[in-house]
Amino acid sequence: MRATRPARNRRRNLAVAVLAGAAAVVPGLSPAAANEVPERVMSLNVCTDQLAMLLAAPGQLISVSELAADPGLSFHHARAAGFAKNRGLAEEVFLERPDLIVTGTYSLHNTTTLLTRLGFRVEAFDYGQTLGTVAPEIRRMGRLLGRSAAAESLATEFESSLAMVERSLCGAAPTAIAYDQNGIAMGSGTLVDSAMQAAGLRNIAAELGFAGMAPFPLELLVQHRPQIIVLSEPLADTPSLADQIAGHPAIRALGQSSTRITLPRGSASCGGPFIIEAIKALRAARETLVPCPPLPGPSG
Amino acid sequence: MRLDAHDVAVTLAGRKVLGPVTLSLAPGEVVGLLGPNGAGKSTLMRALAGLVGCTGAIRGDGADLVAMAERERARRVAYLPQARIIGWPLVVRDIVLLGRMPWRPYGTRPSDADVAICDEAMRLMDVAHLAGRPATELSGGEQARVLAARAVAQDTPLLIADEPAAGLDPAHQIAMMAAFRILAGRRRTVLVSLHDLTLAARWCDRVIVLDRGQIAAEGAPGGVLGAALLRDVYGITAHVAHDDQGLILAPLALSAAAAGGAE
Amino acid sequence: MNTLRLNAGLSAAVIVLLALSLLVGPARFGPLDSLRALIAGGDEATIIIMREIRLPRALLGVLIGFSLGASGAVLQGFLRNPLAEPGIIGVSATASLGAVIVFYSGMAGASILALPAGALAGALVAVLILMAIAARHGSTLTLILSGVALSSLAGALTSLALNLSPNPFASYEIIFWLLGSLKDRSMVHVWIALPLMLAGWAMLFASARALDALTLGEESASSLGIGMGRTRLMVVGGVALCVGAATAVAGAIGFVGLVVPHLVRPLTDRMPGSLILPAGLGGAALLLAADVACRVAIPARELNVGVLTALIGAPFFLWLVARARREAF
Repeated sequence: MRATRPARNRRRNLAVAVLAGAAAVVPGLSPAAANEVPERVMSLNVCTDQLAMLLAAPGQLISVSELAADPGLSFHHARAAGFAKNRGLAEEVFLERPDLIVTGTYSLHNTTTLLTRLGFRVEAFDYGQTLGTVAPEIRRMGRLLGRSAAAESLATEFESSLAMVERSLCGAAPTAIAYDQNGIAMGSGTLVDSAMQAAGLRNIAAELGFAGMAPFPLELLVQHRPQIIVLSEPLADTPSLADQIAGHPAIRALGQSSTRITLPRGSASCGGPFIIEAIKALRAARETLVPCPPLPGPSG
Repeated sequence: MRLDAHDVAVTLAGRKVLGPVTLSLAPGEVVGLLGPNGAGKSTLMRALAGLVGCTGAIRGDGADLVAMAERERARRVAYLPQARIIGWPLVVRDIVLLGRMPWRPYGTRPSDADVAICDEAMRLMDVAHLAGRPATELSGGEQARVLAARAVAQDTPLLIADEPAAGLDPAHQIAMMAAFRILAGRRRTVLVSLHDLTLAARWCDRVIVLDRGQIAAEGAPGGVLGAALLRDVYGITAHVAHDDQGLILAPLALSAAAAGGAE
Repeated sequence: MNTLRLNAGLSAAVIVLLALSLLVGPARFGPLDSLRALIAGGDEATIIIMREIRLPRALLGVLIGFSLGASGAVLQGFLRNPLAEPGIIGVSATASLGAVIVFYSGMAGASILALPAGALAGALVAVLILMAIAARHGSTLTLILSGVALSSLAGALTSLALNLSPNPFASYEIIFWLLGSLKDRSMVHVWIALPLMLAGWAMLFASARALDALTLGEESASSLGIGMGRTRLMVVGGVALCVGAATAVAGAIGFVGLVVPHLVRPLTDRMPGSLILPAGLGGAALLLAADVACRVAIPARELNVGVLTALIGAPFFLWLVARARREAF
C-alpha cells in the first residue's frame, strides 16, 4: 500500500464516527462461528479485495472496495468488474450483514472497531507487508474462506516463482531506487525494498539509512546515480504536482546513465502474489545491465 | 492666472450637487469662497482643480484646464484639500518638497532652485523651524501649515485652498491670510474657502457666496456681507461693524426664520 | 541612512545569501567544487545538482523574495496602510486558488505552464476586490478584515478543489498551496516566473512617484499631477504579476511583504516610492535566509519555507497591530 490511503480513509472515518453514536442502540447480531465456512464475505480494503477475489468460491464474496477497480492501485482491477463495490462504510456493512469482513489493520481502524462492537466477525490483515508475508497471507485468507487447497496452490506457485527469480541471479547487484510521487523513496522495511532485494538490486535509499516511505532529496539521487530508477506512473488521469517530480530536469539530465522503469500498475501496491510481476520487471531491468545465463527448464 | 469658469456643474451619483456656476478670477486677487456647510464649496474647488468630473468650461489664461494633461495642470493649479492626510512619518522638508513634483524629474536630487522655493514656502507658512521634524509628530495646526507650504511650493499661478484656516490659532489664521496676500502681491491668484466671515471680509479682495450649489452673491466683502445675505444664506443675525481696514462680523444668533424652521 | 548605501548593503546581503543557498544541501561537496561545477564544469553529478537543483532554487528565492517584498511596499504605500501585504490581504491565497483550479481541473493538461495563468487571474481578482473595498471604506481595519475573509475563503475553496480532484495526491498538496515551498523547483519554473516578474517589477517601479504623492492622500496626489487611473493600473497589474508568478511556482509564501518594508523603512527617508527597491532586496535576502534555514534546521523532513515565514511573520503582524492601535489609526 502506498501513501494514498489515509486521505481516502479519513473521509470514510468521518462517516464511521457519526455511526458510532448509533452503535449502542443497534440490536446485537450473532457472530458467525470462527470455524464455519462463511457464505457472505465483504472485503473493505484494496489488498484483501485482491486476495479474496483470487480465492473466494463463486458467490462467496459479496462486495469489494471501490479501490479494487482502480487500475492505479489494484493489479486485479479487471476482475473487480464482476463484484459489487463498497465504500468501506460501516453502514453498508450493516445493511449487507456479511458472515465475514476482511480488511486492513491500518486503513479502517475505526470501522473495524465499530463493526466488532456491532457483533460482526472482522479479520484484519496487517498493513506492514514484505515479500515474507505474501505466502502466509494467501494461506490465511484461504483458511478464512474455507478455500485452503486453492490458497495452498497459489502460495506454492508464488514461492516457486520467487525462488526461480532468486536462482536466476548472477554477478554484482546494480544500485536502484524506487522514487515515487513527491520525491518519496521506498526505504528499508517496505514491500518494494524486499522486492528489489529479491530481484537482485541494491536499494540505495535503504543503504543510505532511509526507512519506510521517506522523502528522499533529489540531490542525493543525482549524487548517487542509481543504475535503475523505478518511477511510479501517475495514479490518475488528472494532474497533481506530485507527478511533476519524475519530469524534473535533474532526473532527465541523468540521461543514459540510469535506466528508468515503471512497474506494472498495481503490482507493488499490496503484498499479493502479483508482486511477482513487479519483481520480474525489476529483474528484467537488471538483465539489461548485468545479463545472466538463462535457467534450464520452464520459467515462472 | 486669469481663471474663467463657465456653466460648471457637477453631478454625483445622479444628484446635481453644483451649478451651473460661472465665475472669473483675476491675477493678483485673493477671492474668498463662502457659504454654509454643504453649499458646494469643496465640490466647486475640486472641479476647478480638475479633481472631479464636471460639465462646462474651465480656462486658465485661455488654456482649457479640463482637457489638459494632469502634470501640465499641476504646474498651473495647486490644490490644498480640506482633509489633512500625512501617511508616513516624512520630515517636513520632504513633504514641502513634494510640491515640486510637477516641476522636477523623479528620483533626482532637488535643484538649488527647488530648495530655495521650498525654503521660501516654509518661511511663508512659519514652519521653517520644523524642517527636520517628522510631520506626523507635529500638532494639527502645524501640520496644516506644513501642508499649506507644500501647496505654495508648487509655485502655481492659481492656488485653491479648502478651509486652510480651520483649526489654526488666531495668530496663525491671520498669518496664513497675510501669506495669501503676499502671494497675490506676486500676481498669484488665490481662491480660499473660509467659515470665518471676518477673516474673509478683511483679507479677501472679493467674496463669492455659494448656497445650495449656486452663486448667491459675489463682489467686494463690504457690499455682499450684509444682514440680508447672512439671514438668507447662513440663517443668522450678526453684529456688523466697520473700522478703517474693513468689516467686522460677529455672528450673534440664528435668524428668526432659521430659528422658526428649527422648531 | 543614505538610500544608495542601504541598497548597496542589501544587495551585498542578497549576494552572500545567494551563495550560501547554492552551497547548502544534502549532497555535500566543498564550496570550490560547487562553484566550479556551477560556472565551469567538473563532475557530472555535481554539475547537475548545482545547475538543475540548487541554482533554480536560489534564483527563485531571489525572484520571489524581491517580488513579495516590493509588492508589500507598493501595497502599503498605495493604500497608506502599514498592515497591507499580499499574504494578509488574501492576494496570495486567491492566486493559489486560481492556479489550483486551472491545474487540477486538467483544463490545460498536466502542464505547469498553465499554473501562472490561473495564479495571475486569481491575484488580479483579489487585488481588484480589495481596491474596490479600500476605495469605498478607507479604514485600515476594514481592508485587513476584508483581506482575512478573502484569504479564508480562497483557502477553503483551494482545499475543496483539491479534495474533489480524483488524483489521490492532490489533497496532500493543500499545504504547498497554502504554505509555499521552493523544494525541487527547476529552471523551467525560473523561466516561467522571470518574464512575468520583470514586467511586474517594471509596473511597481512605475508607480513610485505616485506613491510618494499619495502620502498626502489621493486629492493632493492628483493635484500634484498624478494620474490616479494609471497609478491604479500599475499597482494592480504589478502586484498581480508579481504575486501571481510567485505563487504559481512556489505556492503562497506569506508575510515577506509585511515584515521587510517595516524593517527597512526606518533606514530610508520613508518616502513610499524610495522604499520599493530596498524592500525588494530585503525580501530576496529574507526569503533566501528562510529557505536556507529550512534546509539546515530539519534536513530529513524539510520544512516548507512558507511555514517558516509565517512563524516569523505572524507574531510580527500581531506586534504591529498592537503598536498601531497605540498610535491610533
